[in-house]
Amino acid sequence: MILLAFVSNGNARMRARLVGPVRMACLVFSLLMLVLTTGMFFRYFGDVTWMDIGFNEYEFEHKYTWVESLGINWAVGLDALSFPMVWLTTFLLPVTIIATWNEKHGATYFPLLLMMGGALIGVFVSLDLFMFYVFWELTLIPMFFLILKWGGKDRKYASQKFFIYTFTASVVMLLGLITLYFLQDPYSLASSGTMTGRSFSIPELIDNARANNIGDNWYLGAQMQKILFVMLMIGFLVKLPAVPFHTWLPDAHVQAPTGGSMLLAGVMLKMGAYGMFRLPISLFPHALYHFQLALMIIGMVSLVWGAIVCLGQTNLKKMVAYSSVSHMGVILIGIATMQPMGWAAALFMMFAHGIISPMLFAVCGAFKHHYHSMEIGAMRGMAKHSPWLATSMMFAWMASLGLPLLAGFVAEIMMLIALWKMISVDGWSIWWMVGPALVLALTAAYYLWSMQRTIFEGGEDTQPPASMKGHAIPDISNSEKFAMLILALFTIIFGVLPWIALDMMDDWTIQAFEGLIIPLLKGGA
Amino acid sequence: MVAGTGTDTIIDSELMQFAPLIILLPMLAFPVILFLGRVFNRNPFWKDTMKEGGIIALVVMASSLIISLLLIKDHLGGFASMKDSVDFLWLNSSVYESGNLTSISFGFGIYIDHITVMLLFVASFLCLLINIFSIGYMNTDPINDNRNHRFYAEFVLFCSGMLGMVLADSFLWLFIFWEIMGLCSYLLIGFYYEKPSAAYAAKKAFLTTRIGDVFLIIGLVMMWDMFGSLDYDVIFSAVEDETFMAGVSSSTLQWALGLMFIGAVGKSAQFPLHVWLPDAMEGPTPVSALIHAATMVNAGLYLVARMFPFFGSEYLQHDLVDLAFIIALIGGITAVMAAAIAFVQHDLKKVLAYSTMSQLAYIFTGLGCAMFLANTLDWQTDADAHYIVIVAFGAALFHLFNHAMAKGMLFMASGSVIHEVHHAHHHLHHHDDHHDDHGDHDEGHEEEFDAQSMDNMGGLASKMPLTATAMLVGSASIMGLPLIGGFWSKEGIIANAWRVALEDPRFFLPAMCVLVGAAMTGFYMSRMWLKTFAGKPKTEVAAHVGQTNTWIKIPLFVLTFVTLSAILFAGMGFTHWAPDSEYGLLSEKNLFDGIAYEMSHAFANGDTFFFILTYVAIAIGAVLGPGLALSLYGGSLAEGEKVKPWMKPIIRLNAWVYDRYNFDNQAIANSGLSRALENRLYFDHYYDMAMLKIVAGFSDKSAETDKNVVDGVIKKIETGTQSISKVVRSMTTGSARDYILMVAVGTLGIFFLLWGVA
Repeated sequence: MILLAFVSNGNARMRARLVGPVRMACLVFSLLMLVLTTGMFFRYFGDVTWMDIGFNEYEFEHKYTWVESLGINWAVGLDALSFPMVWLTTFLLPVTIIATWNEKHGATYFPLLLMMGGALIGVFVSLDLFMFYVFWELTLIPMFFLILKWGGKDRKYASQKFFIYTFTASVVMLLGLITLYFLQDPYSLASSGTMTGRSFSIPELIDNARANNIGDNWYLGAQMQKILFVMLMIGFLVKLPAVPFHTWLPDAHVQAPTGGSMLLAGVMLKMGAYGMFRLPISLFPHALYHFQLALMIIGMVSLVWGAIVCLGQTNLKKMVAYSSVSHMGVILIGIATMQPMGWAAALFMMFAHGIISPMLFAVCGAFKHHYHSMEIGAMRGMAKHSPWLATSMMFAWMASLGLPLLAGFVAEIMMLIALWKMISVDGWSIWWMVGPALVLALTAAYYLWSMQRTIFEGGEDTQPPASMKGHAIPDISNSEKFAMLILALFTIIFGVLPWIALDMMDDWTIQAFEGLIIPLLKGGA
Repeated sequence: MVAGTGTDTIIDSELMQFAPLIILLPMLAFPVILFLGRVFNRNPFWKDTMKEGGIIALVVMASSLIISLLLIKDHLGGFASMKDSVDFLWLNSSVYESGNLTSISFGFGIYIDHITVMLLFVASFLCLLINIFSIGYMNTDPINDNRNHRFYAEFVLFCSGMLGMVLADSFLWLFIFWEIMGLCSYLLIGFYYEKPSAAYAAKKAFLTTRIGDVFLIIGLVMMWDMFGSLDYDVIFSAVEDETFMAGVSSSTLQWALGLMFIGAVGKSAQFPLHVWLPDAMEGPTPVSALIHAATMVNAGLYLVARMFPFFGSEYLQHDLVDLAFIIALIGGITAVMAAAIAFVQHDLKKVLAYSTMSQLAYIFTGLGCAMFLANTLDWQTDADAHYIVIVAFGAALFHLFNHAMAKGMLFMASGSVIHEVHHAHHHLHHHDDHHDDHGDHDEGHEEEFDAQSMDNMGGLASKMPLTATAMLVGSASIMGLPLIGGFWSKEGIIANAWRVALEDPRFFLPAMCVLVGAAMTGFYMSRMWLKTFAGKPKTEVAAHVGQTNTWIKIPLFVLTFVTLSAILFAGMGFTHWAPDSEYGLLSEKNLFDGIAYEMSHAFANGDTFFFILTYVAIAIGAVLGPGLALSLYGGSLAEGEKVKPWMKPIIRLNAWVYDRYNFDNQAIANSGLSRALENRLYFDHYYDMAMLKIVAGFSDKSAETDKNVVDGVIKKIETGTQSISKVVRSMTTGSARDYILMVAVGTLGIFFLLWGVA
């Protein structure tokens, strides 16, 4: 019920016209949502600890029949996998609204953000394949308009590329989902529809798959499982994005407005990773093992290639966009380690990157807003002219390069440990360690290099960049300062006390391993 | 009970519950100072009374020092280690191994043993003194006005990182605080952010150490994999456990330790990752004193010292010899290389930077040799072997102590000189302006004049007596003049290097390096002192230098005493570098026994070889090197200048040697070797080239590839689809005849399809 309300709020606000009240209303609604999810965490609404829920079991479940004959239900629910993502979305919405408080055409902009948030939450809470797909595609629409209307010079190209690219991939995924639907044993599931005898219910599908994925027994047969795994993964890998499907991201980010970028990097990319955990991994663990090496290679390539390309960028926002590609590689590697710790690292990376990357893009947005240029080196000596922006930038950059006691480091060290465990236990080559090691140094290199040319240097006689046309150089506005402070604060909180979020993620991975992987490895126990 | 392993007993002290405050206080002061500084910027009270945050930092550091001292006092009794009961859980996770899920967790706690105690004292003591110095140095320079709060905030954060690293109870938290220090070092080197050279230096420092850190973190991960934990007490008791060690591959362990050692090489600026330290002198002088001389650069040594239990383990005997050799070798090479580069530097701080590098290298060599001894001798049961190992290990640690104290003082003294030269310059040209009313004159001169260059100094001994004395004592300590500070430890390091060289011929190289290095140290330290303080003023400015302020004098005065009385610390058994725990304030044998023991050990040990070696080292380090410098630099002071009585003999000796034996060294100064040394042996040049040509070039190519090839394929697909759709669109001719044809073709097609299926 609560979650239903979120989504409808987002849509209802669309119609209002005046910027001021709309903005306020959007902020209030997003804050309400934040209060709701935070209350859920602190067990104020519903006595749920988010621990020991059990694999494939959900809290706050609600189910309404939608299309009975096909077995489509409006089914929502939360578990320790989706809850952090939902919280993250509700956390980022007000922050994004505050950070881009003065965005033009506010009367449509802020409701679009909210609609985006609603769609994202929809993806995370869906327990029905059909609903999942509907929300999945629904996220494209506000993003498309955000880029198209508020974007930069090449916004038309970027928005179309973004839409068509990810949509094409989603269609492959959709085909996979439909195939999966029709391959079910008719009338085998409790909520199966009357006409087809099949169901779209995710929990029931997973249970069914689990019952069949034991020992050497493959659910739906080995060949079909591999095919479906690949089809679903294509949709998720493009969304993540992983090299070589990443090229829509820099274009979309560079052209997107700050708020769009913040949500895009903060939550939308994580849809891909979330989807992987929710569907292909939960349904087809055999195929996951089969494609472990492929995933590892894609992850490594994303990680290393993203970092190398970052170093060659001259556009600040493009660099940050590629750094997202690199960080998403960490998620893939974490999954491919097939260690609970690696999975927890992936989950925590989703979360940590969800806090850090909006800050990165907020900084980029402020940079663009104030200096009318995204080129690294357009503005030097920022520490003197805009100390707040310089401080925020330094903080965000440091958080992203994995400084200890900030959120990003936790995921990185866990990934390294899990990777090494994989090397030592499963006998992988030691050379797999070279990629992450290289990237640890490269990441520092590109961030420091860009800081040297923006924050430092300049000095007393700095001329404002040509793009400023002789205007004085301002510092960031109060609302931007506030948003940065909040993001920085939470980066520190989750860096010093990662267990706040990590405990439930860790719990989920343990449940997933006990419920999913161990029956596979130990045979029919 | 054995020193070094220190896991035999765990005592709980009531004070331990306050130990986290040592770290937390400065860490919390960081945002407070930053915030207050921003709010009250330019407020007269904030600026004059609070010294822009300096006083807050002072209070915080003083509290940290007091708690540290209380803890140290508690610990002085024995060799046992203390582990804190504070259980801060950082993260929990689990791994899947041989069919089972194993839960793992990382927490934070406090761990105190004899290595901690010494570094804790060094760090908290120097942090406080340098804080006092900073108030005198930073707040009196108009260039820092209204931004000193940033300095003090970053300063206290650094102190927090250093103290945290020392107190942490696991390698993981060592690494975490290690990185925090790296961040602060980066921020503080770039304190004068508007200077491109400072921005470059800051980046270089962070990146170079980061390369080491990457290896360190991989080493840690390997270590964790072997022991299932990174906590010291878990690992150190595991290496003494026979059944456990049977399952550990010693070569993997050696690799893990070796990778961790690379991290130490980066942090402690050893060859080949040494290039960042000289550039780091771009930071304000208190930063150079604290971070780049006295504390942070010791982190690498601390890490290596922490590895002692591995080398000392019975079950790893003779397995880690190669690593011990590499540690000693890196030390030996750096010691000589850095000393050679220091010969030709003109910048006062650069000389000290290379000297730091060289002295840290001594400690590495000392540690490497001690590790070798621990790894080859049966030291846990044999009393003689035990004695040798502990003395060797203690000598290296003691040198760390002496070097930190002396180098901190030297940097502060150099800061005091630079500060006053700068002021004199200002003063002088201010007067010039007054006379001839040239407004631009001052600014034009400002850029040419280098307040750090020793070529602009000379004859300051009479003008800054306390600074000159402090510098003299510090230099003597670094040179290893008998009875002063560094002498006690340096002799030990040289002797142990040779002891090991007699056992394993490979060690002959590092042993030779440290012996030759002693003479080189004698030369460049004397050269520095003489160029700065002796002879006649080389510039107008140097003739007008005045005395420094009280804030600067206090730490110089205190540290002069600490350096002179290093033997007392040794005699007290302060950090157990004496062979047994019987010497000490709280033990049965008193201070004088301790001193007598140290004296006899240093000057008259029974073995003929070591007896001769000791005097050879003294001869070249305290006579040959300085003698050469005396003949080349300095000379008598200007007419009418008076110096304090204790410096008189040195000035007289200098004048006598200079007049009699001065020779023309232009031929050497212009040689190719000298030029190469002035260019730091071209290391920086080639590293920069590698970065620029290979890394940057490759990444630029990659970025292009990504745009043209990876995205190009997508673009091809786009244009391809568009052209197909064009073809399709062209079919929409609007002519009814075409449509009928299409319908007919379509119908036929469907018909054949159905037929085929059927």
